[in-house]
Amino acid sequence: MGEMVTPILEARKIVKRFPGVVALKGVSFDLRPGEIHALCGENGAGKSTLIKILSGLHACGSYEGELVLHGRPLALEGVAAAERQGIAVICQELALVPQMTVAENISLGREPRRLGMIDWPAVQARAGRLLKQFAVDLSPGACLAGLGVGQQQLVEIVKALSKESRILILDEPTAALAEHEVRVLLRILGDLRQRGVSLIYISHKLDEVLAIADRITVLRDGQSITTVAAKATTKAELIRHMVGREITDLYPRREAGRGQPMLEVEGLSVRHPQQGGLRLKGISFRVHAGEVLGLGGLMGAGRTELLMHLFGAWGRRVAGEVRLKGQPLPDPTPPQAIRRGLVLVTEDRRRYGLHLDQSVGFNLALSSLGRISHAWMIDQAHEHQRNREISQALRVKAAGLDIRVGTLSGGNQQKVVLGKVLLTEPAVVFLDEPTRGIDVGAKVEIYELINRLTQQGQAVVLVSSELPELMGMSDRILMLHEGMIGGEFTRAQATQETLMAAAMGENKGQGARG
Amino acid sequence: MESADTTMSPAATMAEGSTIRLAFRDFSMLIALLAIWAFFFWMSPAFLSPRNLSNLAVELSITAVLALGMLLIILPGEIDLSIGSGVGLFGGVAAVLIFNQNWPAWQAMGLAMVLAVLVWVGMGALIVKQNVPSFIITLAGLLVFRGLQWLVISNSTIPVQVGDRANLCSMLTTWFVPPVVGYGLVGLVLAIVVAGTGTSRRRRRKYGCAVEPAEAAFLKIFLAGQVLLLFVLVCNEYRGLPLSAVILGVTAAIVWLITQHTPFGRYLYAIGGNEEAAFISGIPVDRVVIAAFGIMGLLVALGGFMQTAYAGASTPTIGELQELDAIAACVIGGTSLKGGRGTVVGVLFGALIMASLLNGMTLLGVTPELKYIARGGVLALAVWMDVRLNRQGR
Repeated sequence: MGEMVTPILEARKIVKRFPGVVALKGVSFDLRPGEIHALCGENGAGKSTLIKILSGLHACGSYEGELVLHGRPLALEGVAAAERQGIAVICQELALVPQMTVAENISLGREPRRLGMIDWPAVQARAGRLLKQFAVDLSPGACLAGLGVGQQQLVEIVKALSKESRILILDEPTAALAEHEVRVLLRILGDLRQRGVSLIYISHKLDEVLAIADRITVLRDGQSITTVAAKATTKAELIRHMVGREITDLYPRREAGRGQPMLEVEGLSVRHPQQGGLRLKGISFRVHAGEVLGLGGLMGAGRTELLMHLFGAWGRRVAGEVRLKGQPLPDPTPPQAIRRGLVLVTEDRRRYGLHLDQSVGFNLALSSLGRISHAWMIDQAHEHQRNREISQALRVKAAGLDIRVGTLSGGNQQKVVLGKVLLTEPAVVFLDEPTRGIDVGAKVEIYELINRLTQQGQAVVLVSSELPELMGMSDRILMLHEGMIGGEFTRAQATQETLMAAAMGENKGQGARG
Repeated sequence: MESADTTMSPAATMAEGSTIRLAFRDFSMLIALLAIWAFFFWMSPAFLSPRNLSNLAVELSITAVLALGMLLIILPGEIDLSIGSGVGLFGGVAAVLIFNQNWPAWQAMGLAMVLAVLVWVGMGALIVKQNVPSFIITLAGLLVFRGLQWLVISNSTIPVQVGDRANLCSMLTTWFVPPVVGYGLVGLVLAIVVAGTGTSRRRRRKYGCAVEPAEAAFLKIFLAGQVLLLFVLVCNEYRGLPLSAVILGVTAAIVWLITQHTPFGRYLYAIGGNEEAAFISGIPVDRVVIAAFGIMGLLVALGGFMQTAYAGASTPTIGELQELDAIAACVIGGTSLKGGRGTVVGVLFGALIMASLLNGMTLLGVTPELKYIARGGVLALAVWMDVRLNRQGR
């Protein structure tokens, strides 16, 4: 970086620690005036943490390192402070009011006033002027709810620019957009660059990134790996930078003999319950007894939705057939799924997994109370014995079964969730990011548990965002890409590059069928 | 009689800090109760006369039966504002059938009970299946049931008793258990508790679980027995143990069993604590909440019969504001309005405080204006304390 362009915004050696994890380990990054700078990286590489720091969401003082704006140190106490400095973020969840018009949304919170009342003509005029200035083809009077996601995003961008923002951070702006909307957005972003606005652009879609960005910074494991000029790089090179993680022998996978098919899914398509569109399209796979099927993909590829749907907790099935232990499993409810032997450990254990205010024992027994009840009464002595046995088997470190779960460490909380589902004596276990946010020791214990389950003839579906974990623990790997299967690999075929390429939709239809 | 095995009860399984906080809360409630009693006794010594205590027992029974139902609604995080009107409506239905239609009391009460359960199951279904907030549905119920009651009783006063002939409904609050039978009941209850404790201890030992020292178990039962005996002694000074107190005892025992010893009860706590986690844990959330409303309906009908019998007749204003007394009793007794926390013993205690306040004020001839203000003040105070304690708990 020997060029003599002064960066408008600079992040120097940022270190951000969360309890138990270091999210950023010294990231450096600079943004020049009038450039589009893309941030790329796997899930969990540290992109969102970096954005949160740049936008003031993680306030100054909560991290190490420094931010520099126009050559002067920058201390952001919050999002409002960032906005005052001309830094605005366009998130995936838009901060707009659907019932209001485009003009009302643009002026929301800063309505021009006259005699203490809102000056509506001024609101209209301001919106009209801004829309014209940024060449956005929308009517100020249009109701937001009637617009497409892409158009709403444009409104959000115009709103940000109306606050004199010089730096715009766009987090996955095209994730929910259709092809033509993407083209419009990219054209407008190009215009903004012409006007000297600097953009930080985060996207998983490498084609887009290569088409629009001037420079690209790749993050991996909380470190900035490299910054390259977009013209001087290729997709393959970017993927190589993104995935070059060490695979250690942390993964003690012992293969168990492969038995009968336990779960068979054929041509499964699922509709999104709120948005209406198809979220999962034509998914087919099987899992056998004694097997670990890895399920990978980028954020939003539909991994969690697939598990949640099969478990009966999400979405409406529009096509496809599911068989559990050879018997059809048509759209179950969670109690039915559990009774049939299908259990789910969710990715967000504090929200979906645990009753944090209740005791370890309460949580452990919750899913299997039917098994230990006679004549509507819980056999509490039996319950206590089962809870003690499972917590010993999983080595839950708690001062007792009466301890509140919320006071345990992440790893021990996760073991309680695992204990709860295992007490239902399942045949198929879905594990959604089972090692997220827990320490290495507890991770290895969970891997050993996966081995034990498969040796007992249970089938495991493991969702993980960490490619090394996916490759280390799975017998077979399925990569999802935008709700479809992007590729299927045996353990031997899988490399980080091929998996990542499949997750990005690069080699649809290739890979081996297992 | 709620003293048997509580080692696994959700309230008892809180972390140490919150246990201390809850203990402090229980303690301050006891002080508050004693202060209330002392105040009323000082203002009017008749407050602690056997006759008034007997009346208080009947009033407590009505408030507590409704509050116990409310506990089952609040535990999963719902609310029921319609029970006061429900008390009026189903008491009125029974009274009209008995007095105007000459139905036998047990048939009239049976029909009213079935209707109440159906209506409450319907409200529960609307709440969980159609996602209408319980606050709104039951607020509508408050108005609709009151209107229906006025239609049923034709805006008049319908006695529950025809002439001098007592019937099952009027006996709910006017019949007293003969002294000897009262002592017999105390013995029976103690025998059941001792047997239950013994069985539980044996089973726990068989599965290798920790068992509390025999001395502690004995002491608890002994103390509970003393209180029970004292209560029956005082009642026998007047006319004996009121039948409604027996009904409350049975209701409390059943609700205690439900909350502490059945999967259904655990599910109530689980839904109120974290509904999403409860759903993923395989709990049939909808059915559990509807069933809780069904039980509420049953208890509303029961409370309605008792309240109507206590007043002697179904009147247009009967049962008014009892939903708020029930909610206040729950909250005073440590039930969290957000759901997931609350115990039967706490609710009984809260109901005792509410009933004592109302009874004492009536005894002192406090004007209705002041009574309303005091009731509202206690409700606000209890909820404010609940919110404060919850915030400290985070």
